[in-house]
Amino acid sequence: MNELSPRERLIRVLRRKKTDRPPVICTGGMMNAAIVDVMNKTGHTLPEAHSDEEMMAELAADVYKETGFENIGIPFCMTVEAEVLGSEIDFGTLSCEPKIARETYPSVSRMEFKNMQALISSGRIGAVAQAAYRLSAKHPDVPVIGSLTGPISTAASVVDPLTFLRELRKDKENAHRVIDYVSRFLVAYAQLLVDNGAAVIAIGDPTSTGEILGPKMFEEYAVRYLNKIIAGVHSLNVPVIVHICGNMKAVRHLLPAIGADAISTDALVNLRLLKQDFPGVTTMGNLSTYLLQFGAPDKIAGQAERLVRDGVDIISPACGLSTSSALANIRAMTDTVKES
Amino acid sequence: MSKDKEVLYSELSQAVLEMDEERSVHISGEIVAEQYDAYEAVVHGLADGMDRAGRLFEEEEYFIPELLMCSDAMYAGLEVLKPHLKREESGGRKRVVIGVVEGDTHDIGKNLVKIMLETSGFDVYDLGRDISPQKFVDKAKEVGAEIIAVSTLMTTTMDAMAAVVQLLHEEKIKDKIRVMVGGGPISQSFADKIGADGYAANAAGAVRLAKKLAGGA
Repeated sequence: MNELSPRERLIRVLRRKKTDRPPVICTGGMMNAAIVDVMNKTGHTLPEAHSDEEMMAELAADVYKETGFENIGIPFCMTVEAEVLGSEIDFGTLSCEPKIARETYPSVSRMEFKNMQALISSGRIGAVAQAAYRLSAKHPDVPVIGSLTGPISTAASVVDPLTFLRELRKDKENAHRVIDYVSRFLVAYAQLLVDNGAAVIAIGDPTSTGEILGPKMFEEYAVRYLNKIIAGVHSLNVPVIVHICGNMKAVRHLLPAIGADAISTDALVNLRLLKQDFPGVTTMGNLSTYLLQFGAPDKIAGQAERLVRDGVDIISPACGLSTSSALANIRAMTDTVKES
Repeated sequence: MSKDKEVLYSELSQAVLEMDEERSVHISGEIVAEQYDAYEAVVHGLADGMDRAGRLFEEEEYFIPELLMCSDAMYAGLEVLKPHLKREESGGRKRVVIGVVEGDTHDIGKNLVKIMLETSGFDVYDLGRDISPQKFVDKAKEVGAEIIAVSTLMTTTMDAMAAVVQLLHEEKIKDKIRVMVGGGPISQSFADKIGADGYAANAAGAVRLAKKLAGGA
């Protein structure tokens, strides 16, 4: 099985088929590996690559070549969705990622619902789709992962987040309407990326953690709408990875209810135990990004080795990488997994 | 038939705990009508309710939506009681400057800590989000704060926290101003590494930590 291409290997794992070893990936989006070291080396830089399709494709290819991750991940931020839905974005700098400057709507009851087709043809959606198209055409053996900001995080980036969280309890009807609308948009966006060559869709939803929502809201909102998006992507026969932030204690029992093809977790989660408790879940993770930023390469290699030994199905950073993480540290991680 | 004040305070605490804004307003009104001491009602009613809500949050029975709604009920009652507070203990109140570091997207945790600190009697100066290290230090000097509370949700922006501590050292005021840090990717070992005075894992922990730091300042 030595001739597996990175694309075949990842797809096989996500289809629960045998492989020679776990793939080592970094999805893009919330977890992107566009580190300063890479940009300085190649000159394809942020923030330009957040908006320019050519630059986005170049930088994503640079990241793939330099870091050794076995995928190409786009985009490099979590603001594409919120921008299209109306929020004001601050695009940041080379080393500082974009953020929401201002949420547009004060409450879920004030949301404006727009036409899906119009949404899909606005903002940076086209640039991300074009970048996916170029990259998948140029690198047919490498899985291009289209990374989405999850439904709860996107909704909380468009509606004032604290009001939004209250309204998950206080105004369920409108909260559901908003998240359902956001989810329909995310399905349309994901499908566009798939049409343009994305081999896998990854969803990161940092606002919807067990610690923030608790199990009841997580089930009522996060599980329901994640599954809606997953179903939309599965209808095109493309697998979906879901990343869940936090320690997951409060929502662990709900994992089997999420229809994702792999669950990626934070460094706090013991994946060996998670596998034991939920043999049906394909696990992904969870090398500490703190270690990747501040640790020494030999320590990082040791942790990568442990993850492989623990039988983690896909090896990946546990969270968003610091842009100041050294390339040598990332290589320590990817090289170790490849030699396993 | 007038109710005993202890009964009303306990009902007020319960209204806050049960996220019942209307009831909090109603009971606060009763307390005012009975001319009971508004300050006592705040301490034994509203603040007590928030304390209990904070405990349920730590026990993972309440989560952030619940805690926010408890604080709404608390503030609603406070609006009614405020005009009747006899003593405004502004002299003894400790000051905290709070904000989210430069580059960060979300400020849910920070806002929660702010609300919890206010309900525990701190004067809180909220700088908002995307704040440079220098701004934290300038504001703390301006208002004479005892504590700077810095939050981040992203590993990418953790360096800015170290810069706040560094700036305080450079300006030779680190001994006067304590720094507490928190947020998703932060840990005690990170706090130790950058020389912060303390770390809190959640909003309730942040209040305990602030009380400890302010006491020792």
